[in-house]
Amino acid sequence: MSTRTLMDHGDPAAGAALHAAFPAVTDAPVTWHGDVTVQVQPAHEAAVIRHAKDKLGFELFVDRFGADRGEDADPRFDVITILTNLQSGKRLHVRTTLPALDPVCPTLVHVFRGADWFEREAWDMYGIRFEGHPDLRRILMPDIFPDFPLRKEYPMEGLGAFAAPRRAIGGNKDATDGHVAIIKSPPAEAAR
Amino acid sequence: MTDARTLDVEVGDDRRAEAMMINMGPQHPSTHGVLRLVLELDGEVIVKADPVIGYLHRGKEKIGEALTWNQYVPYTDRLDYLAPLANNVAYAVACEKLMGLEAPPRAQAIRVICAELARISAHLLGLGAYAMDLGAMTVFLWTFREREAIYSLIERICGARFTTSYTRVGGLERDLPADFPAKLDAFVKEFPGRVDEYEGLLSRNKIWIKRTQGVGVISKEQALQYGLTGPNLRGSGIDFDQRKANPYCGYEQYEFEVPIGSVGDCYDRYMCRVIEMRESARILRQALDTLPAGPVLNRESTDALKSVLPEKEKVLTNMEALIHQFMVTTDSINAPVGETYFGHENPKGELGFFLRSDGGLRADRMRIRAPSFANLQVLREVLPGHMVADVMAILGSIDFVMGECDR
Repeated sequence: MSTRTLMDHGDPAAGAALHAAFPAVTDAPVTWHGDVTVQVQPAHEAAVIRHAKDKLGFELFVDRFGADRGEDADPRFDVITILTNLQSGKRLHVRTTLPALDPVCPTLVHVFRGADWFEREAWDMYGIRFEGHPDLRRILMPDIFPDFPLRKEYPMEGLGAFAAPRRAIGGNKDATDGHVAIIKSPPAEAAR
Repeated sequence: MTDARTLDVEVGDDRRAEAMMINMGPQHPSTHGVLRLVLELDGEVIVKADPVIGYLHRGKEKIGEALTWNQYVPYTDRLDYLAPLANNVAYAVACEKLMGLEAPPRAQAIRVICAELARISAHLLGLGAYAMDLGAMTVFLWTFREREAIYSLIERICGARFTTSYTRVGGLERDLPADFPAKLDAFVKEFPGRVDEYEGLLSRNKIWIKRTQGVGVISKEQALQYGLTGPNLRGSGIDFDQRKANPYCGYEQYEFEVPIGSVGDCYDRYMCRVIEMRESARILRQALDTLPAGPVLNRESTDALKSVLPEKEKVLTNMEALIHQFMVTTDSINAPVGETYFGHENPKGELGFFLRSDGGLRADRMRIRAPSFANLQVLREVLPGHMVADVMAILGSIDFVMGECDR
């Protein structure tokens, strides 16, 4: 009954063309379940995306976000950008990988002005710094928030002053709402 | 008495010296939720606008890393809370794309019905609130009359009016009730006449035209740069709709038009939504007429049997089905290792789910690409140069939901 499947929304030809234009700094495109991903070195990401936009017709900026491979992984962070070709409707993913310590990626706001908020969100959630970004502030979390909540080591219940009240995560037996750890000094310090 | 016209009044050269900061929202009625705009004004004219978001952030992407695939469905209700059924469909199709499953034909057709009902109801609220912000109270009351009818239909589908949680990976939570087609048929027959009524109030209304035409123009270039999607992109004259470009759920079988604007102003976006509602009714009619029979949960392969829930009625009477339900619920679904993105044409634009799985029972990364997030960003380029009163027109025409913007 259905003539087209979900598995042909990507554009393998464009992925190959992008790799052919930048053979030294990109890996061969990977197609998985119809999505085409081109891996690129961080320093050349903006140039590669500009080429996809100007030469290959991927004019519509869809998404740009971070991802974390886990505390032990190095390189640890990904920045993934999704573009759409308006003529064919097909998509292209461009991925760049950043080190665990001080993840820095050049900004994309000079190619797509809309990348601004998306990069602010990646900074807010993962602490990925976008070099050249005009206004890299937190966007969804409060300005005084100290951590990067989407990193894998950040607990679901929150940390410190931003921890969830204990009654929300099961039981509030000592009626402290879970803030006891902040009020009392830790035992190791007390022994000293 | 002195004639006022003869008075020599000194006018300051530096009018910018009077620039004033105005904080609009997060509790302003026209910001529909918790959007805050920091406006810099020169008299009545906006010089600079900075949208501040995040007041409704609930950490949905983080929560997505802790829940199993089917457990997350209720969280998608609360993204665009004006179109929960459409969010459910988007999430289920994204999961199926990751797992290489497909919903059976009947489930796909029902999903189309769900998505289009959600589109109509979201556009009705968008239109009603938009008109009310510009002073036309009646439209709001009239659109809520039809929304009530739609919510009664949704209640028949899944038992809830707002928090639907209707889809499951590989199908739907339950089949349509026997009386549903007749009820939907009555609604689809009546609805185009209702749209005529709204249009009679607005489309040629002098005040409406003055408030919306030429106001809040978004150029093609701006729309692409900022990643606008949905009616906001099409209002700017770009012919792009996921249902046409990347069909899913069998959208390629249905005949419908995609309305395109020419100027990119508030009026174009209004017209796009009105025509989309008519086209959605057309799709509903076709989906209803060609609704295939069969199961609503995938039973095609052993793989599907292992990961798709059994029918709920059987679970209550049949031991094997109960065990099956227990296994799928506790062991969840072992998704393959990989990452996929699926973009669904939601009422507000492209709602995308990027799912990365490391082979576990839950997502390793659950990225939600929210259309309102991208759509709101363009405000800082569109608002400057307009009067304060135009802000309500522009906000209404952008039609955003903070639930999905802040996630």
